Amino acid sequence: MAQILAASTLEILVDGLARGVLFALLGLGITLVFGLGGVLNLAIGVFAVMAVLATVTLLGIVNSIVAAIIGGLLVILLIALVVDRTLFSLVYQSEGSERELLGIFVTLGLATFLDGLLYMHFPSGYSIPWRVGAINVGGLVFQSSSLLIIGVGIVLFIAFYAFLERTYLGSATRTVMQDETGALLCGINPRRIRTLVFLLSVLIAGIAGMLYSIAYTINVSAEFTLGIYAVLVSVVGGVTNVTGTIAAGLFLGVLFTFSNAWIGSFVANIIVFLVTVAVLITKAEVVSA
Amino acid sequence: MNWNWEQARIAIVTVLLALIPPVLFMNSYVSRLFTLIIIFAVMAMALNIVFGHTDQLFLFSGALMGTGSYTTVLLAQWLGITPWISLLAGALLAGFVGALVCYVATRQNLSVLVIAILTLALQLAFIQFVSGASSITGGSTGQVFVGFGLEGIADSIPGPELTILYYIVLTVFVATMLVYYYITHSKYGLAFDALRQDELAAESVGIDVVRYKTIAGFTAAFIIGFIGPFYVQMNTYIQPSIFGFGSIDVLVLIMLILGSLRTLLGPLVGSVILLYVNQQLQSAGQWSTVILGLLLMFLFLFFRQGIVTYVSTLIEERTDIGERIRSLGSS
Repeated sequence: MAQILAASTLEILVDGLARGVLFALLGLGITLVFGLGGVLNLAIGVFAVMAVLATVTLLGIVNSIVAAIIGGLLVILLIALVVDRTLFSLVYQSEGSERELLGIFVTLGLATFLDGLLYMHFPSGYSIPWRVGAINVGGLVFQSSSLLIIGVGIVLFIAFYAFLERTYLGSATRTVMQDETGALLCGINPRRIRTLVFLLSVLIAGIAGMLYSIAYTINVSAEFTLGIYAVLVSVVGGVTNVTGTIAAGLFLGVLFTFSNAWIGSFVANIIVFLVTVAVLITKAEVVSA
Repeated sequence: MNWNWEQARIAIVTVLLALIPPVLFMNSYVSRLFTLIIIFAVMAMALNIVFGHTDQLFLFSGALMGTGSYTTVLLAQWLGITPWISLLAGALLAGFVGALVCYVATRQNLSVLVIAILTLALQLAFIQFVSGASSITGGSTGQVFVGFGLEGIADSIPGPELTILYYIVLTVFVATMLVYYYITHSKYGLAFDALRQDELAAESVGIDVVRYKTIAGFTAAFIIGFIGPFYVQMNTYIQPSIFGFGSIDVLVLIMLILGSLRTLLGPLVGSVILLYVNQQLQSAGQWSTVILGLLLMFLFLFFRQGIVTYVSTLIEERTDIGERIRSLGSS
C-alpha cells in the first residue's frame, strides 16, 4: 500500500514538475519585460495561444512539423514586433507607477482585442499532435508529454542562463534591469534592449504554449488562465527576479498538481491563488522593489 | 435653501433619470438596458471612490458583487428570512472584505500594482470557490433568484415589469451620489486628496492614512456588495459567470475612465455610453470583444481625462474667452 502511494506520488511529482516548467517559462516572459520596462504584460497568454494556433494552421499547409513550429514562432515574433513598435512605444513615454498602470490596461486591452479576433477564426480546441503515450519505467507510468516538457524546459533554462551570463546582449539586459541610467551611460540603448527582450519573452511564451498544447488541448479562452498564471508566478518569484521566477513556477506547478490529484481542481486553483495572496502580503517589499 | 451647482446637478440628474420609465420604457429590451446602466453606474461610482480618490486599484469588483449577492441569496434561503434583511448582511460582508484588503495593503505599503494583482487573485479564487462549492451555491449552473417579491407591486403599477426594480436601483444610485458628494466636500475629501498627492507628507500633518484608505475601501466595497443582489434580481438567476472579471471589472474600469475619474457624473456618463455601444454590438458577436479591447487601449493611451473632464475644460475655456472679450469691449 505504502509502495503504491510512493509510486503514484512520484508519478504526480513528474507531472507537477512538467506543469511547473510551463509556469516558469510563462512567468519568465512576465518577469523579463517587467524587470526591463515596468510593463506587466497581461497579453503573454495570447502570444502562447497564438503560437499554437499558427502552428496548427501551418500544419495544414506544410507537411513538416519542424517547419510549422518555426513558422508559428516567426508569426508571433512578427506580431510582437508590431506591438512593441506601436503600443509599447506609447506606453514607454510615461514614467514610474503611471507606466505600470498604463501597461496593465493597455496589455489587457490588447489581450481582449486579440481574443475577439482569434475567436472568430478558431472557435474550438486545438493541440499540436504528440502521439507518444505513457511510458513505463520500472513499473512507474509517466506521461511522455510530461517528460518532453521537462526535457525541453531544462534545455531552455540552461540556454537562457547562458544568454544572460555569457553574451553581450545578456549582460546588457542585466545592466538595464539593475540601473537604467547607468546602462545608458555605458552606451546601451535601453529601448533597443527592451524590444529584443520583449521578443525573447514572446518566444519563450510561444514555446511554453506549444508544450502546453501537447499535454492539454488549448482554446482561445485558455489565454486568460495562462496569462494569469504567468503573472502570479512572476509576482511570487519577486517580479524582477529571474531565478525566483523559475523557482516559483516549479513550486506552484507541483503544488497545483498535487492539490489537483489529491483534493480536486477547484481547490487546486484556490490554493494557488491564496498562496499568491499570502506571498504578496508577507513579502511585499521584495515585490515592490 | 442655498444650492450650489454640484447639488443642483444631483437634483437635475435624479429628476431626469426618474422620468425615464414613463417616457422611454416601451419594451423589456429598453427597460433592461436602462436598469443595467444604473446598476453599472453605481459600480463605477464605488470604484471612483476607492481607485479615483485613494489610488487603490480594485480588480475584484465582480467578486465583491458576488460576495454580496451570494450572502443575500443563501442567508435568505437558510434562515427563511426576506432578502431585504440579508441584503444588509451581504453588503456588510463585502464591505468588510474591502476594508480588510485596504487595511492590509496600506499597512504593508503595497504599491498600486501589487494591490491590483492581489485583488485579481482574490477575484479568480472567488469564482473558483463559488463554482466548486456547488452543494452550497448551485455551482456553475447556478440557481433561480427572484426573491425581492416585487411581483405584487409590479402588477399594481403600469409599464414593463422592470420599472419597480429600476426605481430601486435609481434610489441606490442617488444615495451613492449623495455619499460621494459628502465625501468630496468633507474632511474625507481633503484627506483623500492629501494622501493621493503624497502619502508621507499627509501622514506627517496628522492624517491617519491607514484609517482613511480603509474607510474608502469599506465604502466602495459596501456599495458594490449592496447593488449585487439587484443585478441578480434583474438576471433572475445567480451563477458564478455573471460575476466574472471580463463581465464586470473590465466594463466598470472602461466606464470610469471613459466618463472621467474623480467626477460626480463621470461614472453615469461612462455607463450610458459603454452599455449603449455594447448593446448595439451584441448582434455583431465577437466584434464587440474586439471593440472593447480597442476602446480599452485607446482610452488609456490617449483619453485618460475622460469625457466629463474634457467637456468641462472646454466649457471653462469658452467662458474664459467670453469674459475676456467682454472685458476688452469695456476697456
